[in-house]
Amino acid sequence: MRNKNLLCCLAALLTLWGVQAQEKTVSGTVTDQDGIPLPGVNIIIQGTAQGTQSDFDGLYQIQAAEGDVLVYSYLGQRTAQRTVGAASTINVSMEEDAQALEEVVVIGYGNQEERKIIQNVGIVKEEAIENLQVNSADQLLQGQTAGTQIVNASGVLGSAAVIRVRGVNSINSGSQPLIVIDGVPITDTETNTLNRGGNTGINPLSYVNPNDIQSLTVLKDAGATSIYGSRGANGVILITTKKGRKNQQATVTLDINTQFSRATDVPEILSADEFRQFKAEVASIQQGATVTPEDLGLGALGSGGTDWLAGVQRTGISQNYNLGVRGGSEKTTYFMGLDYQNTEGFIVGNDQQRTGARVNLETEVNDWLKTGMNLGITNTRLNRIGVENNTNAPFTTAFLQSPIIPAYDADGNFAQSGSFIPNIFAVVALDVDELKTFRTIGNFFAEITPFRNLTYRAEVGVDKLELEEFVRSANFNTPGGVAQQINVADDRWLTNQTLTYDNTFGEDHSLTALVGLNYEETIRTRANVQATGFLTDGLRNLGSGSTPTILNGDRFDSRLYGLFGRVSYDYAGKYLVEGSLRRDGSSRFGRNNRFGYFWSAAAGWVISEESFMESAEWLDFLSLRASIGTVGNDRLGTYPSLGLFNAGAIADYNGESGVIPNQPENPDLKWEESETLDIGIKSSAFAGRLNLNVTYFKKTTSDLLLNQVLPPQTGFATISRNIGEMENSGWEFEVSSVNVRTDNFEWRTNLNLATIDNKVLKLNDDAATDLQGRKIIDGTIQRAIEGESLNNFFLIRFIGVNPQTGDAEWLDANGNVTTNPGSNDRVVAGSPLPDFSGGITNTITWGNFDLSVLMNYSYGNQVVIDGLRFADGNDAIGGIVNIRRQNLNFWRRPGDNAFLPSPTSSTFNLFNQRSTQQMLDASYLRLKNITLGYSMPQETLERIGNIFKGIRFYVTGTNLFTIKKDEMKGIDPEVTDDIDPLFQGESFFTAPQSKSLLFGARLQF
Amino acid sequence: MKANKIFILLLGFIGIVSCENRLDVVPEDQVASNTVFSSFETINGAVVGIYSKNQSGDLNGMAQLMGDFMADDVNFVGSFPALQEIDQYVTLATNESIDNIWLDGYELIGAANNVIENLPLVEDVPGVDDGVKTQFIAEAKFLRALTFFQLVNLFAQPYQVAQGGNLGIPLTLQPFQGGDISAFQLERSTVNEVHAQIEQDLQDAMAGLPADNGVRASSGSAMALLARLYLYREQWSQAATMADQVIGSGDYSLAANYDFYDNNPTSSEHIFVVVNTPSDGPQEATGSDEVYVTFYNAAPGGRGDAPFSTDLLDAFAQEPGDRRFDELSVAASDAGGNAAFFTTKYPDIVNVASDGMVLRMTEMYLIRAEANLRGGTSIGDSPQNDINLLRSRAGLGPLASVDLDAILNERRKELCFEGHRRMDLLRNNRNLRPGGGPESAPGADKVIFPIVEDETTNNPNITQNPGNF
Repeated sequence: MRNKNLLCCLAALLTLWGVQAQEKTVSGTVTDQDGIPLPGVNIIIQGTAQGTQSDFDGLYQIQAAEGDVLVYSYLGQRTAQRTVGAASTINVSMEEDAQALEEVVVIGYGNQEERKIIQNVGIVKEEAIENLQVNSADQLLQGQTAGTQIVNASGVLGSAAVIRVRGVNSINSGSQPLIVIDGVPITDTETNTLNRGGNTGINPLSYVNPNDIQSLTVLKDAGATSIYGSRGANGVILITTKKGRKNQQATVTLDINTQFSRATDVPEILSADEFRQFKAEVASIQQGATVTPEDLGLGALGSGGTDWLAGVQRTGISQNYNLGVRGGSEKTTYFMGLDYQNTEGFIVGNDQQRTGARVNLETEVNDWLKTGMNLGITNTRLNRIGVENNTNAPFTTAFLQSPIIPAYDADGNFAQSGSFIPNIFAVVALDVDELKTFRTIGNFFAEITPFRNLTYRAEVGVDKLELEEFVRSANFNTPGGVAQQINVADDRWLTNQTLTYDNTFGEDHSLTALVGLNYEETIRTRANVQATGFLTDGLRNLGSGSTPTILNGDRFDSRLYGLFGRVSYDYAGKYLVEGSLRRDGSSRFGRNNRFGYFWSAAAGWVISEESFMESAEWLDFLSLRASIGTVGNDRLGTYPSLGLFNAGAIADYNGESGVIPNQPENPDLKWEESETLDIGIKSSAFAGRLNLNVTYFKKTTSDLLLNQVLPPQTGFATISRNIGEMENSGWEFEVSSVNVRTDNFEWRTNLNLATIDNKVLKLNDDAATDLQGRKIIDGTIQRAIEGESLNNFFLIRFIGVNPQTGDAEWLDANGNVTTNPGSNDRVVAGSPLPDFSGGITNTITWGNFDLSVLMNYSYGNQVVIDGLRFADGNDAIGGIVNIRRQNLNFWRRPGDNAFLPSPTSSTFNLFNQRSTQQMLDASYLRLKNITLGYSMPQETLERIGNIFKGIRFYVTGTNLFTIKKDEMKGIDPEVTDDIDPLFQGESFFTAPQSKSLLFGARLQF
Repeated sequence: MKANKIFILLLGFIGIVSCENRLDVVPEDQVASNTVFSSFETINGAVVGIYSKNQSGDLNGMAQLMGDFMADDVNFVGSFPALQEIDQYVTLATNESIDNIWLDGYELIGAANNVIENLPLVEDVPGVDDGVKTQFIAEAKFLRALTFFQLVNLFAQPYQVAQGGNLGIPLTLQPFQGGDISAFQLERSTVNEVHAQIEQDLQDAMAGLPADNGVRASSGSAMALLARLYLYREQWSQAATMADQVIGSGDYSLAANYDFYDNNPTSSEHIFVVVNTPSDGPQEATGSDEVYVTFYNAAPGGRGDAPFSTDLLDAFAQEPGDRRFDELSVAASDAGGNAAFFTTKYPDIVNVASDGMVLRMTEMYLIRAEANLRGGTSIGDSPQNDINLLRSRAGLGPLASVDLDAILNERRKELCFEGHRRMDLLRNNRNLRPGGGPESAPGADKVIFPIVEDETTNNPNITQNPGNF
């Protein structure tokens, strides 16, 4: 039946075609206000996909019929419109547009003129990122747009950043935004790879070449995201890769750079002799008699040891080669990219090679059909290292390993450490931990314009990830050796089909309507095999092991089917309204709740277009905008609603297969739903010299999937139910200004700031309660409290060491000083959520020099560095681990302002128990990226024979300095070891970010 | 124009694939709960699953390790703060390691209850006749009893403190199948009530289990555990009789030497053993084998956290030539880098697959000897003969006479590193540490574990143990 309807419809469309006006060739020159030819101006016939671009001399040519409206658009220029009349030459002089608000911006399933956008989107344009040199695409977003917070997990290569658009909107489901590359939502399953300590997994954006990216759009409010329905609740990041330009000679860009990186900051720990002296002195005081290091079995002073921390660090040298070819003829445009990156981390054993290639092609087959393809492939090889609370993590282990332990024996061979903390040098040198991936992300599309104003677009996309992880531990580190291999295929294919109607009625009524469907199927297959018992280390692979220990394989299938529509209308560009609706069905939802509806409504008023504002000439643009709507979060796991028994190794006994209860059933399970209200002002004044955008939002998420904790007697830990409610509200400010503008000097500043207030409105009725009777979700470090924030550090308050008594002191629950606190003395003592955070970018161009300085900041948040429980005090792990240098300052006599209590105090070994002693103020201002560039002047290029169209030399520094609190010395403030919303701002020992200097050249010919 | 039409139609067809009925996706690697009791294979699987749960490192591994280092057999030098707390008798209710024991215990009980409750309702499943049902339910009851016993020993003061009138643990006897949770917020039953339930389960298991059931529980397993229960309850004659029944059953015999520790679950010594295979450890959260192998062995291969205590070394040193020391220990550095001795009862560091000892023949002789001595009887044989039998296997000469100290000393040397020592000291009213203070004295607050925070926050009817938890 459906087929029949569609056939009828198509037949009707085809008939309409015949009645088209006679076409002729229109040509002309496009210039700027000073009469200088503008190359690359987009010229399209309004309401169609037909278009061209001006060439180097500003010339263009296009087939159009009389009465057609030609739309001329160019970055930084006010869009012009000309109606084709009798003349066949149309010359256009464009005017500089202060704010470039006329630009076309990528939004969900379409494009929109920037000045007509009433959705709340953060836009990162090509010019903001083209000179940024980064290792992975997420760094392009850092500090660029308000309300998008990127926290790098660590300086370890390949580790995923925690990306939050407007904070955390979920408790137990994922809180990462949906990332869409050229229309293909990419998979970012965290559990694909082995956990190496920490819980952040492999960065999904490390598979995209940042040099291929043209722009990024962050969809923030429901007006923008509800078209993504059940996946929009955490925000959506649209990445658009570079496209060619029409009528333009091929431009070849070759970019070569070399980077040197070190750790930003590492804690000072004791040397071997300091360690011996410390232990001896403490023991002497405790025993009241002289105790030598030899008595303690630590060896004599000067008898050697190992500087583990120095041994695991290095200057990482990286090379990056990037080649891009971009151009186009009248009908066809192309971009080709090739990229090779060889990155060495600053931690030994951590390096990555990435090779990527991309082809983006677009061609106008004829006047009603346009087809194209975007295809990117990436091949990476990453040598992984452990991180965080993992004895094989170089950084963690180098901190904790006793400095008196020799790394090598008398013959120069690796020595066993003798404790469970391995000889990390041997681990790095002898073991293999390699992750190889091959990823293809691409789509093919066809755009058909059966008659004017109507466009049908069909896309077929694919995201295919092949991943192979191989781990081989040598006999020295694991007796008998162990090999493990994991192969994952994460395949997604999808189709998006949209029908867009775009027309202007009369002079002033513009209407755009969109309907579409989206079907996606994702299958993840995983095989995991491990074997032990290798005769020698030379026998590398699984088959050489005597005993298979893991043999695992599984497959997860999930499907999504969505129908959606959006209507936008504006009157004279002054009054704008928009509405969207999406119906999503997902295999993940319970059988009683398989389909969800998501909607949005938005309105905008461009006040500056009103006649009563004409007198305010200083004001270029002023608009008010509001939206309301709903979005969902479908990151619930694969089969969250079914009652399940696990089979396989977890349920077998002595080789006999079994099943074991794993999950209680909940057929009502559904998506989490967020309702967002968003109100904003956009303005531009003084000929674009000052722009200010302000937004307020309130996002209420209901049906939060909570793992309702079951009484242990049920035999289940939790059951998943849609019960919680949470609210995020906040302000976002974006100010950009041109501070100075002269003929050859310009200084621009962009500043953004966002605040977020998070509040848990409702937890399950039978949730655990605290002493005041409030419902809570309790963790070892954090506690979520109903009526308060989701993230509260809930710890015993540590005061310090009493200078008179030498005892460490804490506060009990009532605020009284105690020297023996218990778990009931924990209180809300801090928060990992900043009061505000954002970024500042200053750009200066002076003649042929350009300088851009990007800083990001966060204020009012704390972090808990759990590893300090080991790195401070005397008794962790039986006192065998190394400690931070400040521990040398222990209490000796009354009046001492000591770090550590008196060795004879009863609190000496309690000192490092979990308390606010490990909670540190993580406010910071960081020089994230500073780039100085020099472009050779035209005359010089001519003098060297016009071989090059452009030559640019540049230097980029990353994380060169960070302003932070003294107590953060040696510790990076930008840490988190877990992607889980409940564990934000916690770290064991995160390896710090890297500090790097990069030198490069970009040649264009 | 014709070609164009065809092209458009092709694209159009992509859109009209009917997608909605493709949204029903069933798991390929798990079993939905409504189909478990529908075939012999899955029903048997549900029973096997309980045994698998019994391999949890928390139920068989941690509990034994803690029992040894809380007492005087193991000098714990490990770094896990949760374990250090226990070692130093400063345990809090938030202790994660203890929490895991409680949670895993009730998970096993839930899996057992699932079989005990649902299997009788099964009808018309080929291969599942009354005999099969009886045996499977008996196996579930044995494992439930074993777990209740484990928990009550750890979380409640022993019988001796108040003749069993003190609080034990909650007796959960039905499975959770979604819905109301109030039936799973039970208050604690007394130790006597818990013991009565264990006794009942074991008697049912004795009746329903075959004498030989491979590595799964047999009727002898139930009898042996019942013997231990009676010993702990000081029901001397019943303990001696039950131990004697196992000895006399002919199904088991004392092994000639100590080779039964090394992946030898079919040794005649074993009455019930947690069989760990190479594929178990790495694939489970924390397997029994992982705990035993990593904690009791020195690096590399283990963590070196749990060497012999000086007191235990002294005990062996009093009578040199004890094969239980000479053959079952090795010198190595501990986690703190100090010279120490480690047990080799869990030797499989390559595959991390050493078995967990639960009930073995030697313990039956020890129970019979102790119960006979305390009860003044000679059921089966005299205490002296029983003890000398074990001593002769250990290469030691016979004792002319035995008293309680001699029996406990022999018991200690036999069963060290198998998790018995804490209960053996507590029930005999002895301090857990040589020269130990009030914190390790019998009846002290922290010689038992706190009811875990997971339970106290989710169950308003629970009572915490006394002490500042």
